[in-house]
Amino acid sequence: MAKVTVKLFGVYRVDTHIANTEIDAQKLSDVLDELNKMAVGENKSSIAFADATVFINGEHCKKKKQKLNDGDEIWLLSPASGG
Amino acid sequence: MTKYKGYMGRVLFVDLTEKTFSEFPWTDKDRERTLGGKIMAADILLHHITPEMKAFDEDNWIVVTTGPLTGCGCPNTSRFNISTVSPLTNIVTSSNCGGDFGLSLKRAGYDAVIFSGRSEEPVTVHITSDNVEFESASELWGLTTGETQEKLSEYKGRLVIGPAGENKVLYACVFSNERTAGRGGVGAVFGDKKLKAVTAVGTKLPEIANEEKLKEFNVKWTKLLKTHPLTGRQLPKLGSAGLIAPMQAHSILATKNFSAGRFDGFEKVSGEELAENHLVSNGACTGCVIRCARRVNVDGKVVKGPELETLGLFGPNILNDDIEKILKWNYELDELGMDAISCAGSIAFAMELAEKGVHDFGVHFGETDNISSVFEDIAYRRGEGNYIADGSKRMSDFFGGKEYAINAKGMELAAYEPRHAVGQGLGYATANRGGCHLNAGYMVVVEGLGLDVNSLTPHGKAAIGIMFQNLMECISAAGSCMFTSYAVLPGFLIAKPNMLATKVILACFPYVGPVVNLLSHFTKVPQINIPLLPHAIAVKLATGMKSNMAKFLTWGAYGWNAERMANIILGQKAGADKLPKRLTEELQDPNNPKTKVPLEKMKKVFYRARGWKDGIPTWHRLKTLGFDIDKSVYDKAVAAARTED
Repeated sequence: MAKVTVKLFGVYRVDTHIANTEIDAQKLSDVLDELNKMAVGENKSSIAFADATVFINGEHCKKKKQKLNDGDEIWLLSPASGG
Repeated sequence: MTKYKGYMGRVLFVDLTEKTFSEFPWTDKDRERTLGGKIMAADILLHHITPEMKAFDEDNWIVVTTGPLTGCGCPNTSRFNISTVSPLTNIVTSSNCGGDFGLSLKRAGYDAVIFSGRSEEPVTVHITSDNVEFESASELWGLTTGETQEKLSEYKGRLVIGPAGENKVLYACVFSNERTAGRGGVGAVFGDKKLKAVTAVGTKLPEIANEEKLKEFNVKWTKLLKTHPLTGRQLPKLGSAGLIAPMQAHSILATKNFSAGRFDGFEKVSGEELAENHLVSNGACTGCVIRCARRVNVDGKVVKGPELETLGLFGPNILNDDIEKILKWNYELDELGMDAISCAGSIAFAMELAEKGVHDFGVHFGETDNISSVFEDIAYRRGEGNYIADGSKRMSDFFGGKEYAINAKGMELAAYEPRHAVGQGLGYATANRGGCHLNAGYMVVVEGLGLDVNSLTPHGKAAIGIMFQNLMECISAAGSCMFTSYAVLPGFLIAKPNMLATKVILACFPYVGPVVNLLSHFTKVPQINIPLLPHAIAVKLATGMKSNMAKFLTWGAYGWNAERMANIILGQKAGADKLPKRLTEELQDPNNPKTKVPLEKMKKVFYRARGWKDGIPTWHRLKTLGFDIDKSVYDKAVAAARTED
């Protein structure tokens, strides 16, 4: 098990009220599962962590089975637009 | 008058020198050719401007236009446009605003108003359906935008300038309620004409061609906007400020005058920080169902909060992580009446000039205590502020540093660092009004922020960029908010980025250029309406005019070429589509040779697809699009554009 820091951004943070958390996990999919258990709030049913754009230590990661290391920092982002 | 519904059928012409008014001729053929809004304004200016006309010439016109959808009950369609020759860029600028003025102008019975000449004394122009009154604005002159609007609060539709406009700061803006026509210095042209304010009131409404069907359609359109992942979730919850974190992740958050794409303190100035700790309520333009605007508390007063651009450019780009200061500065800029993007870009450039020992303007990266007083110095053109009031291009003409003066055609870039979104870089360089992210085609939304298309490849970017440029041009001309264009992107591509189908489609994006070009050029092909482009269907139902996706692409192309030809006549040179060398020659990541904008390579593809040569529309392209300009005027302008600076 690796202890990783997870940061939520965009609608993930606003909907779950989770900004940062630490999770013990072997791979990225474990983190997403754990977040699903942790998520609270009125919009829980609309939260789909599997759809997040993920960055690990600043690098875009598209593999759900990506193995994690102690101290990794994981960002979960929702799609965004603006101007 | 007009046979088409949706329009009021009249264009008002106001002579500020003589204090007279008349009706400007505008026919149904003109409407069929231009639709309205910024395309209509570009066409009017194209046929009026003369070579080398300058922003502060008495002959320069301010053209305020609405779109046919404004007043027709469609969602997010209160936008109006102001076009004129810009003092910042010396070419045409078009600036879009979501205040009440556009709707009020239509209620007064006009689709557009043109201001010509120059008043000797400060003046307020009051527009009603049967009269135009010229009232002395001597008592308003010197007031801030908020104070001026307070004095005119009995009028629902207002346009006002603040001290920056009066003192002709080259990026002064115009306010209508809390919303701004921000870019290109339209406020300075108002100030030059001594036009402090305009009001419009009336009780008219446009007739609708197919009222019942449009009502039904508007319900569906509103549902689309409210359920789309961008317009229904992200924008209402986080506003445009929600982009800060994704921009950081994708290395496109302009930092320290665009020398980097990431900022360690980004979370402190992010949309999440704004939403969690500062948001009082959402705000909105009239008739908006997205409600992306932020309302915040500044010194005990609830005011408009900052957009993404203000947070980014007065945050990471000047190495500031104090969001409380940005909230306060945003309010101060609004009261003085200055464009936050150009002001911040000019200050960041001044900071870098000071850091490099070229000239000390009294502003330094990471030092923020004096920024409020610098705003005052700029707005009133005092001391060093007088230099910064002229924008980064003129500062670089005088002090040097062109390679890191972050502007295109003289207009400062928005907060997206393009070396990690090269399509956006192409857009910045080619945008008609200068360094504008929206006029650019807003490719960042495809290159990582909304969709996960490879942001470092040049492939396909020219074709997709042109299609977005044309569509957004036309969506704006219809009277719609640009943000409604995001719903053009199918929701599942955005909400389900990790789905196999999404991955396959996005992987193909860089290779769809030829197909997109075919659609853009051979407009007999997409003679259809698609649910994802509701604007085209709404135009048909509101006006009775033929409208579909092909028409939108054609109107958009007409607008783009009209602005470009006007710019060429005004003296724009063939090589004007460029970026500062920092963005095209210096790598953002020294270990990744792709992290710069391969502009020359992309421009060749872009010009070929647009039917341009060296950035100039060919005569054949103009004729294909239905332009009626004089060949001798064209030849003379093109010959001048090909001469050296």
